[in-house]
Amino acid sequence: MNEYVAQALAIDCDKVARYLVERLREYIEESGARGGVLGLSGGIDSSVVAVLLAKATDNFFFLLMPSASTPPRDMEDAMKIVKLTGAERKHAVVPIDDYVKAMSSAVDVADKRIVGNIKARLRMVLLYAYAQKLGYLVVGTGDKSEIMLGYFTKYGDGGVDILPIGDLYKTQVRQLGRCLGVPEEIVAKPPSPALWEGQTAEGEIGADYETVDSVLYLRYEEMRTREETAAMLGIDVSVVDRIDALVRRSQHKRLPPEIFRLSGRAVGSDWRYPRRYWNVRPW
Amino acid sequence: MVRIELAQIRPFLGDVERNFLKHREIVETSDADCVVFPELSLTGYVLKDLTFELFRYSEKAVEKLAEASGGKCVVAGTIKEVRPGVLRNSAAVIINGEVDYVYKFYLPTYGLFEERRYFQRGDPPRDLKTFQHAGIKFGVMICEDAWHPEPAEALALMGADLILIPAASPMRRLGRSLAIQDSWEALLKAHALMNAVWVTFVNTVGSQEEEFFWGGSMAVSPLGEVKLRLKLFEEDRAVYSIDLEELRRARFFSSFRDHISSFHRVLAEL
Repeated sequence: MNEYVAQALAIDCDKVARYLVERLREYIEESGARGGVLGLSGGIDSSVVAVLLAKATDNFFFLLMPSASTPPRDMEDAMKIVKLTGAERKHAVVPIDDYVKAMSSAVDVADKRIVGNIKARLRMVLLYAYAQKLGYLVVGTGDKSEIMLGYFTKYGDGGVDILPIGDLYKTQVRQLGRCLGVPEEIVAKPPSPALWEGQTAEGEIGADYETVDSVLYLRYEEMRTREETAAMLGIDVSVVDRIDALVRRSQHKRLPPEIFRLSGRAVGSDWRYPRRYWNVRPW
Repeated sequence: MVRIELAQIRPFLGDVERNFLKHREIVETSDADCVVFPELSLTGYVLKDLTFELFRYSEKAVEKLAEASGGKCVVAGTIKEVRPGVLRNSAAVIINGEVDYVYKFYLPTYGLFEERRYFQRGDPPRDLKTFQHAGIKFGVMICEDAWHPEPAEALALMGADLILIPAASPMRRLGRSLAIQDSWEALLKAHALMNAVWVTFVNTVGSQEEEFFWGGSMAVSPLGEVKLRLKLFEEDRAVYSIDLEELRRARFFSSFRDHISSFHRVLAEL
């Protein structure tokens, strides 16, 4: 990674971990939920959030939802996190292939992207059902790199209540994972949504995460030009343009749906309230 | 010696009653002459359109706080409706049960801030004020006003020996250090040194929506020394004593008294 960007993205792990754990604890408490549930895939993001969640509350639950395209190694890695967090009695394994087949045949499709998104959305349905059963929130595991690129399934892995590591780039999540004691084989594993066999994030995006994070940081936090960004990183400007295009095209995935304006005051326009609206009581 | 308490609290966004109860408890248990709370401490800061609803509750909270204040001076953050439909980001200054208001002049509207959408700014000729309590003359200015030289300069030249700064400074860039803390410390020292005054910064702490306020309140002497530091990232309260002798010594060896006001005539034309 470029030295300048590496410096900028270096984190004080202890400080960041303590901050995220405390915010998780507080959010769960103040939302009135009893705890948090998350989908554990054996990848770096869900492993890190699982460890943070287990530090924040005793009331956590992990769902492992393998499909035919889930590499066996991922479930082994997920079980290492179950062990690390003492979740032997706080997890469930729910294989999803039967439901995927049922949904795919209802839509009569075999396209790997459509079926892949069905998998991500079925997992969301299961997470919310478990969350409601337990009185928990759904804790999301998306990181800033994925959110900026739109590299997630809308209402699939994007359908969650909170995103604790959503302001940390993938390479920062790796830093955090190492100091939280996440096994190195999980930290170093190439990220993959595993929605179909052989899928890798870096293959689909067309750049490694060191490059992706560097471009995102320089373009959107330091607001440097595409040419300057490419020159600083020693990469072709077409790589910067490709990442820019992913960010622009996916804006609809990051915002609530557009509401067509008619009234004097409309949600999404000039009706702007904080999320923690429930605190307001007449006095 | 005047004793000032810094009450670094975490307001609950929108829950004015709960915030009021916390204010009252701190005021009632304080043995200081003056208790200072953060900016918008009765309402919370990241209010958005709740601003339009909460000003009524926060005005009521100020009245009740005045009743509970005894002989103390209390500075609490609130919304004041100055004319029907015109709201200002304000500090209520309660002295001997009487309430006065200080208004924020510089309303940040950039990045995560959107104050000009909701508030009218104060008007310096009408709204710059100093107060007298427990043998000290002090002024109050709110958060962003400390990022400009004039408000502190004006208060000092109007006779303030102490400037209180209620604030709501959110954390940004928590990487390896907390850059915003260094920036604030530099500003506070500069105001204290340039104007030969005591400076007290009382920051909000804790989360409100996406944001997180970092706390780290400070008291800085007229010699530019940080005399008191409150905790980072958690609620805290502490008292410090203002030594007017230290102020006197600082002024003997300062060019503060040589203020050349004609600079301002030049500035006024720019």
